Amino acid sequence: MKIVVAIRQVPEREARLRVNAAGNAIEEEGLQFATNEPDAYALEHALALRAAEGGEVIALSVGPERTANALRDALARGADRAIHVLAGELDALGVARVLAAIVRQENADLLLAGLQSEDMGYGQTPVLAAGLLGVPHTTLALEITPAEHGLRVFRELEDGWRQSVDLPLPAVVAVQAGGLALSYATLMGIKRARTKELRTLAVEDLGLALEPALIVESLAPPARTKSTEMLQGEPEQVAAALIRKLRDEAHVL
Amino acid sequence: MMLLARMLAGPGNLHAVERFVLLALGILSVALFLHQATAIARRILAARRDANFTLAPLAPRCARLFFDVLLQRKVIRERPWVGLAHAFVFWAFCAFALVTLNHLALALHAEFLDPRGAGRVLFFLAALFAVACLVAIAGLTLRRFVLRPRWLGAQPSIGSAGVAFLIAALMVTYLAAFYVAEGSAAAHAIWWLHTLALLAFLPLIPRTKHLHLLLAPLSVFLAHPRFASIPPLAGEEDFGLVTGKDLTRMAALQAYTCVECGRCMEHCPATNTGKDLNPKELVLGVRGYLNHLGPHSEEPLVGQVHPLHAIFECTTCGACQHQCPVAVEHLPLIVGLRRGVVNTGEWQHKQGTRLFLNLERTGNPLGRPHSERERFIERAGLPFFDGSQELCLWLGCMGSYDPRGHQIVTALAAVLRAHGITFGVLRKEQCTGDAARRLGNDLLFQQLAEANLATLAQAGVRRMVSICPHCVQTIAQDWREFGPSPTIEHHTELLARLGTAGLGATTEEKIVYHDPCYLARYRGVMDEPRAVIARSGHLLEPARTRKDSFCCGAGGGLFFLGEESGERIGMNRARELAATGATQVAAACPFCANMLGDALKTMDGIAPQLVDVAELAARQIKP
Repeated sequence: MKIVVAIRQVPEREARLRVNAAGNAIEEEGLQFATNEPDAYALEHALALRAAEGGEVIALSVGPERTANALRDALARGADRAIHVLAGELDALGVARVLAAIVRQENADLLLAGLQSEDMGYGQTPVLAAGLLGVPHTTLALEITPAEHGLRVFRELEDGWRQSVDLPLPAVVAVQAGGLALSYATLMGIKRARTKELRTLAVEDLGLALEPALIVESLAPPARTKSTEMLQGEPEQVAAALIRKLRDEAHVL
Repeated sequence: MMLLARMLAGPGNLHAVERFVLLALGILSVALFLHQATAIARRILAARRDANFTLAPLAPRCARLFFDVLLQRKVIRERPWVGLAHAFVFWAFCAFALVTLNHLALALHAEFLDPRGAGRVLFFLAALFAVACLVAIAGLTLRRFVLRPRWLGAQPSIGSAGVAFLIAALMVTYLAAFYVAEGSAAAHAIWWLHTLALLAFLPLIPRTKHLHLLLAPLSVFLAHPRFASIPPLAGEEDFGLVTGKDLTRMAALQAYTCVECGRCMEHCPATNTGKDLNPKELVLGVRGYLNHLGPHSEEPLVGQVHPLHAIFECTTCGACQHQCPVAVEHLPLIVGLRRGVVNTGEWQHKQGTRLFLNLERTGNPLGRPHSERERFIERAGLPFFDGSQELCLWLGCMGSYDPRGHQIVTALAAVLRAHGITFGVLRKEQCTGDAARRLGNDLLFQQLAEANLATLAQAGVRRMVSICPHCVQTIAQDWREFGPSPTIEHHTELLARLGTAGLGATTEEKIVYHDPCYLARYRGVMDEPRAVIARSGHLLEPARTRKDSFCCGAGGGLFFLGEESGERIGMNRARELAATGATQVAAACPFCANMLGDALKTMDGIAPQLVDVAELAARQIKP
């Protein structure tokens, strides 16, 4: 099975985010980046499928030069080779078009990706790629196992419900974090990764001309509002008021 | 002193046939000895060279040879009666060196010691040692075959019995020669018996653990000068001890030197709490591997030399290595085997993987967000280090994220302020990599060490203090591989120097001190915490103390690996500490504070309260 895993590099979770001077993106100066966690799970699923079925795992990333680090990390963790498509910040459709082009070029059986990115959080890229490729897809995947005519995927629904979906290959599966255990990076992995292929392409090499379908005009951090409200009155009244607020305003009951 | 009046009797003339028989038996004995000994020497020399080995500095090596071999320091210190008995057997062997050569020379009339002249003093001296040796052998035989402590293994060794018998025979025949006439038939027979015992003894040496007669001095002399030093990986293809090819000459030498005395087992916290790790079996496992598979084997070491799960039961407390009388270095071996399975990704362990991922993603083993550390710094009012202060207070992960660690840091900060010492904490710290290092994750350890070294260099830190002996050891020792780091000391060292000015009166508290492994055994810091404790109460000592301390169970990354099998190590230690009748248990390590604090809480009756030495010092400050 030939599997392409889409990997996005996102700001590290602990990073302090600032808006850039233009006011429409995150300032990258001084930021540390890490692999988008759901994508790390997607890679783990790909490695598990390769262990069961044989085949090849190709890590694919669309992004600026720094993105190569995420691909090296994927190679260290077990991907066979990597493709880096150099590009600036693209919208979900732009990324999906690149992913689809590579999947076609590689004639891959499966495109795996994280459910959504931890920074932009569109949650659309894998679905759009499936549309462009004209292949079936499923999302919220927790378990992926080879089935008779393709894959069997367990999806995580609300409230502990799980759904089993069988889909033929080729297909696109968007992976939910947490379905299996991530593995740790190893010294041997890092050293072996140095000898693996990491191919860098430009968007133009794929014969694509990408027009933005979505333009971010402005980006702002959420306003910090600290509203502490003291409920006054008899204990019974306070308890009743608290329950009302928890139910109607905070929606936690 | 009947012996003094007597003279050692020679055998008289040997018949030509006798000389021929002697020659033939001599050749056979030496050939058998060489056959065995060279096979072992070849296996040791065929192993990989030790990457970081240098003979210099020679002085400490010679000192160790003098104390640990000649004076039998470790042998006696640990088991005084048995050790002394062993020492007398050893000293008798030394005393007999010339006497034995002379004994064989008699056959050719080439003797060089005159039993009437100068030789008489030596013969008499040897006789005294022979008597002492006989008494010692009798005692040791009684212990080994009748008392049979479990450290010596379930099966009494036949080889040992044979060797004990031959040593006794040598001594008896030597002494008997004082009571017969020179050249008499009896003297002749006694000479032959002594000779036959000698010739039988020689080939037994390399076949039994008595190989230590030859290898122990070498092993003691060559052992790494620094305690529990973890060798750097050598080259691109070194991932630790993966297969036989990765075993080094020192590891091989030590495996063949092991005398199977079981002192390591007797002190191992894992072995003593019903776990499967057994440091003696581990070393003998390496010997077995070399004997059966050899130093060029591609068979994985883990599994062959010791089970995988047992290797991860080691707290790296270092008691085994500290006690070993023949200088076997268990820690580089255990960490090396862990490296072999972690650097290659073989080790799959739920909590272990969680720990590594936490360190990869958040830089701390607990996986907490940095903001928690910042909140603590703000709450405790700790200033940030800006280069103007005397000291950088290294918080460490426990000091940053653990409630118990917070209390210790707060106490230390109060003492520093009271003494007018300026200090600051770093804005950003990552784990020192202690747990990653001891669990064999070299990639993670290197990343953490390098990131921290860069932070410290940027902040211009020159002097540091830490509440955690693990941080101190890792920063002072393990980081050296990646460049110079600022000097660091443990807070007890600093507190001891601060003196008693401005302190309140001592209390009536009875305080028992628990030596943390990484402070006592690794760093040799034992008097300083005691000096601080003595200022605030009566210091008590538990049965296992100072460098013989017993682990709390947290070291070697085990704090993060979940529930122990068997009895909890911390519980075992807490009982011992409570048995001293102390009202307080003083610790000097946030990991010990957690493990022992938890154990004390679960004890029946009124258990002593756990405090850190810094907290005792803080209570002494006059308001």
